[in-house]
Amino acid sequence: MARPRLARAAVGIALLSTLVAACATGGSTSPTSADASSAAAATIPELKPDQKVTITFESYNLSNTGTWKPVIEGLLADFAKQHPNITVKAQPPQNATAGDFTSSIKTQALAGNPPDVAQITFNALDFAATALAAKPIDTLVGKDAVTANFAGAHPFAAAATTLGDLNGHTYTMPYVFSTPVLWINSTLFRAAGLDPANPPKTWDEVKTAATAIKQKAGKDGVYIDCTTKGSGDWCFQSLVRSNGGQVISTDRKKLTFADEPAVGAVSMAADLYKAGLSPNFSQAQALDAFSKGNIGMILETSALQGLFIGGAQSGGWELTAATEPGFGAKPPVPTNSGSGLSIFSNDPAKQRAGWELIKYLTGDHAYTEISSKIGYLPLRTGLVDDPAFLKPWADQHPLIKPNLDQLTRLQPWVSFPGNGYQQITDLMMSAAEGAIYQGKDPRTAMADAQKQATDLLPKA
Amino acid sequence: MSTISAEAGGARQPGGDTGAASAASGGATEGGPVVRAASTPGRAWAATAGRHAVMVVLSLASVFPIYWMYAGSVRRPADILSQNPLPWPLSLRNYSHVLDTLDVPVLLFNTLVIAAGSTVGQLLVCLLAAYAFGVWDFRGKNILFLLFVAAWLVPLQVTMISNYLVLNKLGLLNTLAGVVVPSLCSTAAILAVLMLRQHMQAFPRELLDAARIDGRGSWTTLWTVVVPNIRPVLASLGILLFITAWNEYFWPALVLQRANSVIQLGIRGYLTQEGSDWGAIMAASGLACLPIFALYVVLQRQVIDAFVRSGLR
Repeated sequence: MARPRLARAAVGIALLSTLVAACATGGSTSPTSADASSAAAATIPELKPDQKVTITFESYNLSNTGTWKPVIEGLLADFAKQHPNITVKAQPPQNATAGDFTSSIKTQALAGNPPDVAQITFNALDFAATALAAKPIDTLVGKDAVTANFAGAHPFAAAATTLGDLNGHTYTMPYVFSTPVLWINSTLFRAAGLDPANPPKTWDEVKTAATAIKQKAGKDGVYIDCTTKGSGDWCFQSLVRSNGGQVISTDRKKLTFADEPAVGAVSMAADLYKAGLSPNFSQAQALDAFSKGNIGMILETSALQGLFIGGAQSGGWELTAATEPGFGAKPPVPTNSGSGLSIFSNDPAKQRAGWELIKYLTGDHAYTEISSKIGYLPLRTGLVDDPAFLKPWADQHPLIKPNLDQLTRLQPWVSFPGNGYQQITDLMMSAAEGAIYQGKDPRTAMADAQKQATDLLPKA
Repeated sequence: MSTISAEAGGARQPGGDTGAASAASGGATEGGPVVRAASTPGRAWAATAGRHAVMVVLSLASVFPIYWMYAGSVRRPADILSQNPLPWPLSLRNYSHVLDTLDVPVLLFNTLVIAAGSTVGQLLVCLLAAYAFGVWDFRGKNILFLLFVAAWLVPLQVTMISNYLVLNKLGLLNTLAGVVVPSLCSTAAILAVLMLRQHMQAFPRELLDAARIDGRGSWTTLWTVVVPNIRPVLASLGILLFITAWNEYFWPALVLQRANSVIQLGIRGYLTQEGSDWGAIMAASGLACLPIFALYVVLQRQVIDAFVRSGLR
C-alpha cells in the first residue's frame, strides 16, 4: 500500500516543484517597466577633467574572437588613450545566441545591474526603449549634440540618422549595419552562359539565371537568406517592402505581414525552391555551400565579404556583388541589419562617459577600422572618398559599392512593439519557412501566424 | 552435448546464441557429431564476425568526428572546406592562429579550476547526502529522497534566472566561484547522489555495526570505514563529474561575462553570424579535448568502471 502512495506523492511533488519553478521564472523574466519620459529633462553635465568614471560596455562583437574582437579591443584601447579619466570595462553578452543579444541586458537589468552602454540590434529598439529603460540620448545630451555627432567632416548617410529613433526620441545611435547584397559566383555565371557584368535586377531574372546555372553548371542557382526562422527578419522585411508592403502598419498598431505584398514575396521564394533552383539549407549550410562554389547567387549581408573572399580564393572561383533584386518594375527597398549603441545607466557621470564612448565608436577613425577590417558599411560615407581614411581601401575593394549605393534608399528594419517582439518575429519567419520549404500555402500560413502574433501586440 | 558444441563453437560467446547453437545441435537426429561440429563453429564464427562488424562500424562512427576535428585542425586555412579525408599538406597555422587570438593557457586553467572545484564539491555533498539516504533511517527519509528526485526533474533553464539573481546578491557574478557554487546542487550532483546511494545501501551492515560497537560515531564511521571501502566508486564518480563539468557551456556563459572565461566559451567565439572560422574551431576544440584525453589515458580503468558501474547499479 505504501508504494502506490509514494509513487503518487512523487508525481505530485515533481509536478508541484516544476510548477513553482516555472511560475517563479515566468515572473522573473518580465522586464522591469520603465518610463522613458521620466528621464532627466535637463542635459547631463560634462565630466570634470579630473573626474574618474568607470563604465561597462556590452558588445556582441566581443563574442567574435577571430574578426570583431581585436578590432573593438583596439578601438577601446585608442579611446582609453584619448580619455584617460574614463575606464571602459568591455564585456560580451551572456550566452550569445545568434540574433538574440537583448536577453543578456534583460537578465542584468533584472538583477539591477544593466550595462552602462550596450549594443542592441534594431529589432529590439522598441523593447529596449519601453521595457529595458534605454535612455533617450537626445534628452540626455541635447538634440543639438546628437545632430552634431551625425555631422562632422564626414557626415552620416541621411537614411542612417533616424534608424535609432522611436516616438520622437533617439534611443540608440546607429553603429554598424549592412544591407542585403546579391553575392554572385561569376565563374558559375560564365559556365551557365550568363554575363556576371549584367547581374539580375529582378527576381524573375534571378529565376532565369538560376535555371541556367542549374541546367548548365549543375549547381544550385540561388539562396535567399531571409527565409528561415534562424535567419531573423531584417532581410525578409526588405523583400516585403520591395514588393510594396510592410510587416507592421505605420502607426505600429496592426501587423500586416499577411497582406498581399508579403504573401507575394514568400510565394516568390517558394517558387524558387519548388523549381529546384534553391536548396533547403540553414544559413550556416548555405554559407559553406556558397563559399565552396556550389551556389550561383546568395542574398546576404555585406559583413560576410571576408568569408566569401576567402572561399573564392581557396575554391578558385570569382566573387562579385550586385544590388538587391526587385519585384518587376517596383524599385527594390533595402533594409538595414545591424545595431546601435544605447545608454542604460542611471548615473549622470556614467551617462556622459557613455556618450563620449558612443561618439568615439561612431567617429571617422572607428568606421575606418570597422569597414576595412570587417566589411560593414561606413555610415560616414564620405570616408570612402577621403585618401586619409577609406579611399585606398575602397579602391581595392570594389565589392562595397553595391552596399553603399543601397544606403541612399535605405528603409529601417522595424522592431515589433511590446515584450513579445521576438515571438512575433519567430511566428512570422516560421510561417514563411513553412510556406517556402514545407509546401504550406503562403496565404494561409502567413494569415494564421499574423492572427496568433496579433495577440502578442501590446493592448491599447 | 551442449558443452561440447559450445566449446567447439566458441564457449566465450554468451547468452542466447550459444544456447541456440546447442539447441540446433541437439535437435539433429542424423549426420553424427562430426557434421554438427563442422557446421556449428561456422555459424558461430559468422555470428561473431557479424557482431564484430557491427561494433567496428559503430566504433568508426564514434571515432570519425574526433578524427575529422583533428584532420580539420591541421588543414591549411585555404583547404578548410575540403572534403578530402586525408589532410594534405599539413599545416599548424590554425593552432598558431588560436594561440594568437585566444589566451588558451588561461582558459584551460580556468576550466580546470571550475571542473576540479565542482567535482570535489559535488563529491563531498553527494557523499554526505548518499550516506544519510543510504545508511541512516530517519523520519521523512523517503519524502526527502523524493524531493531530491523531483529537483532532478527541474532543468537548469528553469532555475537559471533565480540562481543568477542569488549569485548577484552574493557578489559572485563574473567569478569562477559563481560557476562552481550552483553546481553543488545541480542535476549532475543529484544524479551522483542517486548512484552513490545505491552503493551505500549495498554496504555491508556488519561493518557499520562493528564500527558502532567499537564506539565510532557516524562521522568517524563515514571517513574511516565507509569511504576507504568505496574509494573506487568515488574515483569513478569523480571522473564522470569532472568530464561533465569540463564540458559545461551554458552556465559559464551566463555567469562569466569576460574575455578570459572557459575554453568552451573561447571556442564559441569562432562561430559567428559573420561566418565561422572552422579551422580555428577545430584547433581550439582539439586543444580543449587534450586534458580529457590525458585524464582518460591515465585513469582508463576507472573511467570504464565509472560507466559500467553507473549502468549496472
